[in-house]
Amino acid sequence: MKGLIKKDILMAKSNLKVLMIIFIVFGLMSFSGNDNSNFAFIPSFLSIVIMMSTFSYDEFNKSNQFISTLPNGRKNYVLAKYISTLIVLLVSIFMTAILLIIFSLATNTMNFFEIINIIFGCIIGIIFVLCFFYPFIFKFGIEKSRIILFILAFGITGLGGILMKSNFSVTIPKALIDFFNNYYFAIFTVITLGLLFISYKISEAIYLKKEL
Amino acid sequence: MKNIIEIKNLTKRYDSNFQLDISKLNIPSGRIIGLIGENGAGKTTLIKCLLNLVKVDKGSIKIFDKDIVSDEAIIKENIGIVLDGMFLPEVLTAKDVDSIMKDIYKSWDSSEFSRLVTDFQIPLNKKIKELSKGMRKKLEIASALSHNAKLLILDEATSGLDPVVRDEILDLLLKFVKDDEHSILLSTHITSELEYISDNIIFIDNGKIVLEDSRDNIMENYGLLKCDVDYLENIDKEDVIAYKKNKYDCHVLINNVSKIRRKYKDVIIDKITIQDLMVLMIKGERK
Repeated sequence: MKGLIKKDILMAKSNLKVLMIIFIVFGLMSFSGNDNSNFAFIPSFLSIVIMMSTFSYDEFNKSNQFISTLPNGRKNYVLAKYISTLIVLLVSIFMTAILLIIFSLATNTMNFFEIINIIFGCIIGIIFVLCFFYPFIFKFGIEKSRIILFILAFGITGLGGILMKSNFSVTIPKALIDFFNNYYFAIFTVITLGLLFISYKISEAIYLKKEL
Repeated sequence: MKNIIEIKNLTKRYDSNFQLDISKLNIPSGRIIGLIGENGAGKTTLIKCLLNLVKVDKGSIKIFDKDIVSDEAIIKENIGIVLDGMFLPEVLTAKDVDSIMKDIYKSWDSSEFSRLVTDFQIPLNKKIKELSKGMRKKLEIASALSHNAKLLILDEATSGLDPVVRDEILDLLLKFVKDDEHSILLSTHITSELEYISDNIIFIDNGKIVLEDSRDNIMENYGLLKCDVDYLENIDKEDVIAYKKNKYDCHVLINNVSKIRRKYKDVIIDKITIQDLMVLMIKGERK
C-alpha cells in the first residue's frame, strides 16, 4: 500500500506548481482584504481537487485496472486513496496554518483560538466532502461522480433556499446548544472519524465487487 | 511438466450476450503460449478472469497450483503484466515507477529495473506521457520483468511498435523462458510473432477454444490446399475444415497434410500461416 500512497503523492506533487500559484494569489487577495478566514478554506479545498485529479489520471491511463493486477492492488487502492487524500489535506492545512499565524501576527486580526477554529472547520468540512464523494467515485468513476456532485450541490442549495423562503425553523433546546458549544471539538471529531470509517468501508465494498 | 495455469468449467457471461466458456485448459510451465482470436473473441476476458479483474459466473482457475480468488496476492506477486493501454499514470516518470513498484512487489529488483531501463535507453526523469509509444511499451515490459515473475501475461504488448523494437522485445521474451520455471501467455494480433516464438497456440472464437495445440503440430499438420473452384467438389467433406472461394481459385484449410497430399495428387498444398488458419477458421465456409 505504501507504493500506492507514494503514487498518489507523486501525482499530487506534479500539480504542486498550480497549487502554489493559487495559494499565493488567494493569500495576497485575503491579506489585502484583511479576510483570512476565506483564504483558509481555499488550500484545503484545492487539496481535494488535486486528489480528484489523481482519480482522473488513473481512469485516463486505466491505471486503476493496472493496479488491480498488482498484489493486493484492488484492496490497497481504496485505502491508499483515503490515506493520501488525508496526507495532502494535512500538508495544505499545515501550510495554511503557518500563513494564518503570520498574517494574524502582521495584521493583528485573529487570536490563536480563532485560527484553531478555522483550521478545524476546514479539516472537518473537507473530510465530510470526501466521505460523501469517494464512494460515488469508486462506484461510478470520476466523470459521472462530478455530475452527481454538481446535481447534489444544486439540489441542496435549492432545498436550503426553499426552506429559508418558507420560514422553516427548528427549536433546539438550550441545554443541547450549551452541550454542543462545550464539546463541539469532540463531537465533530468523533462524527468525522466515524463517517470516514463508514465511507472507507462502503468504498472498499463497492470497489472489491466492481468488474474492471 | 507441471501446469502453470489450470482452468476448469469456466463461464463468464456479459449482458451483451457474450459468454466465455472454457471447459478445460491446462497451460504447461516453461512455454510461450500464444492466444489468438479476432476482436471480441474473448481473449481479454480470459486474461481478466485469470487476473481476477472480473467475477466468473462458474468454474475455477488455478495459477501455480493456487486458487486465483483465495490466493490472489501470492499469485500476483509472481506474475508480470503488460496489458494493452493500461499502466501507471502518465504524469509519472520511470524513476517514479521504480520507487512505487519497490513498495508493491516484495521481490522487486531495482538493479534489474535500472539495467533494463538503461538497456532500453529509457530516460529516467521524463514523464511517461513524453515518451514515444515504443519507449512506453519498453518501460511496461521492464516493469513486468523486474520482480522475478514466473509468469508473464502480455496483451498486445508489441502492437503499434516498429519491427526493430518488436524484435528486441521478442528476444527478451525468449530469454525469459530460458528454463522450465518461466512461462508467457501472449495475446496478440500479430500472428507472425507467434510463428517465431510461441510453443503452443490457443485459438479462441466466440468465447470458446476452437484450437489448442503446439505450434509445431499446427505447422506440420495443417495446410492450405489451393485448387480451382470447380475442383472443390472433388474434395471429400471430411477432408475440409473450411474453405474460401477467391476470384480465380479456392483456399481450403486441411488437417493431416501428408494424408491429403497422397489422396489429392494434382493440387498445391502450401504451409499454413497462423493468420491463414485464423482467417479461414473464422470466416471460411464449411462444406
